[in-house]
Amino acid sequence: MNILEAQKIHKSYGNKFTKQEVLKGIDLSIEKGEFVTIMGASGSGKTTLLNVLSTIDRVSHGTIKIEGKELTAQKEKQLAEFRKHHLGFIFQEYNLLNTLTVKENILLPLSISKVSKKAANEKFQAAAAELGIEDIEHKYPNEISGGQKQRTSAARAFIHEPSIIFADEPTGALDSKSASDLLDKMSSLNAKRQATIVMVSHDPVAASYSSRVVFIKDGSIYTQLNKGDQTRQTFLKDIIKTQGVLGGVHYEH
Amino acid sequence: MSINQLIFRNLKKNLKNYYLYVFALTFSVALYFSFVTLQYDPSMDEATGSIRGAAAVRAASILLVAIVAIFLFYANNLFIKRRSQEIGLFQLIGMTKNRIFSILSIENLMIYFGSLLLGTLLGFSISKLVTMTLFKIMEVDDVATLSFSFPAFLQTILVFAAIYAVIMLMNYWFIKRQSILSLFQVKSKTEGRVKNISVLEILMGILGIGLIATGYYVSSKLFEGDFTSMNTLFMVMIFILASVIIGTYFFYKGSVRFVANLIRKNKSGYLNINEVLSLSSIMFRMKSNAMLLTIITTISALAIGLLSLSYISYYSAEKTAEASTPADFTVVTEEAADELGQIFSENGIEYSEERIEVVIAEADITNIVGANLQEISLNDGITDIAFISEKAADMDIQETETLLTGYNDALQQLMSLEDSGDIVIHTANEKLEQQYIGLAEEDLLPIYFTGGFPTAVVDEKTFDIISNDIDEDIQRDSSLYIGLQLEEGENRAEADELFQNLAISEEYGNDSQYATERTQKQNMGLVMFIVGFLGLAFLITSGCVLYFKQMEESEEEQPNYTILRKLGYTRHDLLKGIQGKQVFNFGIPLLIGLLHSYFAVQSGWFFFGTELWTPMLLVMGVYTGLYSIFGLLSVLYYKKVIRESL
Repeated sequence: MNILEAQKIHKSYGNKFTKQEVLKGIDLSIEKGEFVTIMGASGSGKTTLLNVLSTIDRVSHGTIKIEGKELTAQKEKQLAEFRKHHLGFIFQEYNLLNTLTVKENILLPLSISKVSKKAANEKFQAAAAELGIEDIEHKYPNEISGGQKQRTSAARAFIHEPSIIFADEPTGALDSKSASDLLDKMSSLNAKRQATIVMVSHDPVAASYSSRVVFIKDGSIYTQLNKGDQTRQTFLKDIIKTQGVLGGVHYEH
Repeated sequence: MSINQLIFRNLKKNLKNYYLYVFALTFSVALYFSFVTLQYDPSMDEATGSIRGAAAVRAASILLVAIVAIFLFYANNLFIKRRSQEIGLFQLIGMTKNRIFSILSIENLMIYFGSLLLGTLLGFSISKLVTMTLFKIMEVDDVATLSFSFPAFLQTILVFAAIYAVIMLMNYWFIKRQSILSLFQVKSKTEGRVKNISVLEILMGILGIGLIATGYYVSSKLFEGDFTSMNTLFMVMIFILASVIIGTYFFYKGSVRFVANLIRKNKSGYLNINEVLSLSSIMFRMKSNAMLLTIITTISALAIGLLSLSYISYYSAEKTAEASTPADFTVVTEEAADELGQIFSENGIEYSEERIEVVIAEADITNIVGANLQEISLNDGITDIAFISEKAADMDIQETETLLTGYNDALQQLMSLEDSGDIVIHTANEKLEQQYIGLAEEDLLPIYFTGGFPTAVVDEKTFDIISNDIDEDIQRDSSLYIGLQLEEGENRAEADELFQNLAISEEYGNDSQYATERTQKQNMGLVMFIVGFLGLAFLITSGCVLYFKQMEESEEEQPNYTILRKLGYTRHDLLKGIQGKQVFNFGIPLLIGLLHSYFAVQSGWFFFGTELWTPMLLVMGVYTGLYSIFGLLSVLYYKKVIRESL
């Protein structure tokens, strides 16, 4: 079953004279429980694609459906309502509120959807245990490490069991140990909770944790790689090879 | 891009950001200019009738400059910090510090002197209104003229140019002192690290609330007779001031955080949007703003308190005048009454006359005074009281009874007279035991006889006994009170003029209610006018300071709004949270200021007049209303920031 379906999405910035097309007709569908990585060089449009898919930005044309629901024509208020219940976010700069403790940050999405306090507490315990952040629940973001911050951010994305979780370079600001730690947790949550994850990354190692990698170049899909039954190591090699082909500037002789 | 273009563009950009600064500056200049104009206005001396008026206005204008100067320094300090990154960037691309300083100076020069000219123009146009207001409050029938006062203009320009020079010096020092790197960090440095609440803060929080409560409690006891001599009274006042001000500081430094923390603990991490935006944000900023908020609160309280007291006094002028001279005109000799009566008849003013025989005798009031006698310097409990007979008072009193009449709030606060008890009247040779039956409201005798104490009404027979056996030493020059009451109220002004032209108006004891009321209204009116305008200047400048703080805060918190909106909160949700936050941010200093002034006014208002609630609530209402405007403006600014956050 497809949880997300995007058809012919275009996105351009600027007015008629300074128009710059960032997305040039992308078709993408994602199945429930998939862990998809979008890769591409900087300027390829991968972050724009993520923003558009996650309703933070609007498309110029094309349609996006999540769980069969058409999103492109919705009003801003309806989109906010949709994000509230169906989407989760993890960002590169952690995006935690500095004035709130770890626990308060994680419980934010639940307080919007008015879950009872008791149920919220249970969900928090479960998510915190899975991500290993129970003992820092009363600390403030500036008192914990980058890895802990990102795991807090991940817990916040997972806690209300959204249909899709969008992650924008989640490992970008982490050292390699914390990064692999986070990716392990994410893929185990993906497996255990059947959570659908869409991640943007330029790091092949991060991408190798996912089940499918979509390569974008100059605003269109260049190619896709499926992990299938391969080990992570061989999948990583494939990804690096593809990235090599994709990344270079081609001179035609 | 040339330097000129750079300056011009910066100017355009900043003008949009700092419109409130321009407004506050323009307004202050206008206020100052009209004040100084008033000072140079020749009609002012005639109107207020003395040098005192001009001197008071001059003192007020100096205070006004002090308030405005502090505000401008503070605002400039905020603005240069906001622009530190820009200054760093200019240095990075190779501009010298002097060059940057001159760019800033020229830019400031235009904004500052632009507002200065605008303010002078505005001040010129409102100066007539200001003078008219003053005349109206003082009930002076004089027409203010609109005239441009060149010395006032010169003084305004000079004073504000001096402030400008100091601001430029501060900027110069700021630019010189900072390295490029530190300039880039100035903004992030101010944010302060978020930490868990410490034991010290909890102690401070409890101490803050405790100190304020103690101050309030002691102030309510101040004039209830628990403190005896002038010296202790003075010490107690200092204690109250210190306790409340330090308490306020601790309150902002610790209590707000402490209380907020208690609420948060209670939620065990499950905060809704309003709490996220208000509670947590206030908790972390209140502490660093403690000093500023304490100053704003204290001066607000001072302004509201003084304004309330002067308004109480002004408002009660009529009643106070009635208490000291019950009839329209009071005379104490037959000749004076005849002379005045004749003049009135000649001018066709109808009046009625009332004559009351008065004797003064000592009385022992130990048993009916609730307060400790020593405190009110009544060592043996014996005081002089003016006695009149029941007939003169048109009452019916038993032979053994005495009624006191002429209730007075200040007196009641000091002595707290009881409802009944024994009173012993000392005539020259004997003592009469009487039963005291209560205190009536009506004032029957002028202050000439009573000295501010209530009048005693006794039975005809008792009155005869007292008047046949008097102690000559304590009698007034006259023992006859003649009150002239006009038949028609609108003749009062005319009658007063006739009275003032007679030689008898100079004699002690002869008095006109109208003149007494007018003097009080003029004195209090001038005080009220000056305090009012200073209060307004302070209100606007402190409102602006809070607004700037909020402007800064909203920009610092913008990333948070981005996160929250990504999580699915709508703009409406965020705005609702912000409104809650602003209610606290502006409401806490206001509420504490109002409370402080309430307790201050409450403790001693009865020395100023007879009516507490109406004038006080009116002053507080107006202050709150004007203050709220700044809260509303800041919400509008937040609305813009939230809209731009996604």
